[in-house]
Amino acid sequence: MSERAPTLVLDRASVAYGDVPVLEELNGVVHEGEAVALIGPNGAGKSTFIKALLGLVPVVRGRIEVLGRPPAQARRDVAYVPQADTLDPDFPVSVEQVVMMGRYRRIGWLRRPSAGDRAEVADALERVGLAGRARDRFGTLSGGQRQRVLLARAIAAKPRMLLLDEPFNGVDAVSQHALLEAIGSLKAQGASVVVSTHDLAIAHLACDEVCLLNRHQFGFGPTGDVLTPERLRATYGGHALELRGDRVIVTQT
Amino acid sequence: MSWLDSTVHRALVEAVLVGALGGVVGVFVIARRLPFFTMALTHATFPGIVVAALLGVNLYLGGGLFGLLVVAAVLAFGRGRGQDFTTATGIALSGGFALGVVLVSSQDGFTKDLAAYTVGDVLAVGTGDLVATTAVAAGVLLVLALVGKELLLAAFDPVGAAALGLPLVLLDFALLAVVEVTVVATVPALGTILAVALIVGPAATARLLTDRLAPLFPLAAGIGIACALAGVWVSTQWNVATGASIALFVGLVFGAVFLGTAVRDRARRAVAVRA
Ligand SMILES: Nc1ncnc2c1ncn2[C@@H]1O[C@H](COP(=O)(O)OP(=O)(O)OP(=O)(O)O)[C@@H](O)[C@H]1O
Ligand SMILES: [Mg+2]
Repeated sequence: MSERAPTLVLDRASVAYGDVPVLEELNGVVHEGEAVALIGPNGAGKSTFIKALLGLVPVVRGRIEVLGRPPAQARRDVAYVPQADTLDPDFPVSVEQVVMMGRYRRIGWLRRPSAGDRAEVADALERVGLAGRARDRFGTLSGGQRQRVLLARAIAAKPRMLLLDEPFNGVDAVSQHALLEAIGSLKAQGASVVVSTHDLAIAHLACDEVCLLNRHQFGFGPTGDVLTPERLRATYGGHALELRGDRVIVTQT
Repeated sequence: MSWLDSTVHRALVEAVLVGALGGVVGVFVIARRLPFFTMALTHATFPGIVVAALLGVNLYLGGGLFGLLVVAAVLAFGRGRGQDFTTATGIALSGGFALGVVLVSSQDGFTKDLAAYTVGDVLAVGTGDLVATTAVAAGVLLVLALVGKELLLAAFDPVGAAALGLPLVLLDFALLAVVEVTVVATVPALGTILAVALIVGPAATARLLTDRLAPLFPLAAGIGIACALAGVWVSTQWNVATGASIALFVGLVFGAVFLGTAVRDRARRAVAVRA
């Protein structure tokens, strides 16, 4: 494990919108081929964490390095998967056009997609199990399928780091399986994955490491070590927790 | 004696140009949900026109330059609020119009000039107007051809576009400026109040007819051209206001297509239920 190169380094980093610090004292390292789950209650700063890795929210103290560079300079090799329900379902754009957006960075300004780009798009759609829906309008797909399209868009960008913001919300078992498979195959190819989720079972299933967040960092390390009831209770501010087998459930109050 | 010496011929050429331009730009206006911004621009450019009239320079140049200021203001006030320019637009709309009214009320006697500006008259366009519209159409189509895919991404997923490192503010400015010059180019034919019809209507109609992006552009342009030509024809036949005739055709076509597609969808659903 340890001979793998670090892809994400957090060193006493604080992140703020303007004067308002949202996340403070972030520390940790993620390596090639590893996945880290961001876990914390609503408003904890999970989306902000992801935006900081994209260089969209400034680091005001300490240091964040993505692929050995400041976040804004690493964007070429980083792909971001937003929550599907943040996008306009009426927008007149087809599934393959959405996936092609993942290629824009490589295509560059003023140029049109090549046959090679189209092949990458077809391949990415294949990998999320939606090859047959390429020409359908994006908004006509189900929520889970749209989420898979957005993952395909990220895959088409050939990223070395993949950032997913709550990709499993409102997603059925089939789509969840397809998403996990695709994330797994990216990891196998050496990409690092950062995924925010409220689902602790998925963190156990898909992630090597967990970062517990609630404006501060409540833990960062191997999933089994960090996802303990005590730490979760601290992160969630004392809300009740149930343990069922290998599943940990946070009961919202 | 050139073909363009005829008033009607010039009107027909202008109709084709603004119809096509409005249709194509309208696709972006609809996709980015900017009809209100477009409407507001027509009013917010008003003080520019008044100042131009005071200074004795070209009215449309005045409106165009002032409109760019309005675009910059909307961008500055609307920044950081996602893709919603609505509040900043509302302020620009009322503020711009109020400034124009104040300027007008401080002067006597240019109500006549301004009447043409508010309702337009495609039968009065000169060769200069035609050249200006052609230049605007060429410029707009060039911009859309060059950065169309980036504009599309920024409209669909602004955070995703920013994550790719695309300069969102610049792209927003490009799109709003495209809409602005289109409004200014359409004003001589339809007037400030009706220009919005040709930019929003044909694209909205085309959107009812297809879900796909590529055919939207020719379809919207075709509908725009057809409505503009029909409006010119009706107004020369019966001597009624051209701009209003064009806007009426746009409304009628949208209404007819809306009813037609609603009936079609209902029939399809009925078939699906029976099957
Ligand atoms: N653009 C912004 N400007 C200022 N503060 C913001 C902005 N966006 C988020 N915040 C604040 O930052 C905090 C963290 O928000 P964030 O969206 O990162 O939480 P989250 O963990 O993703 O929550 P959720 O589970 O609801 O998605 C919140 O208190 C929020 O009010
Ligand atoms: Mg969030």
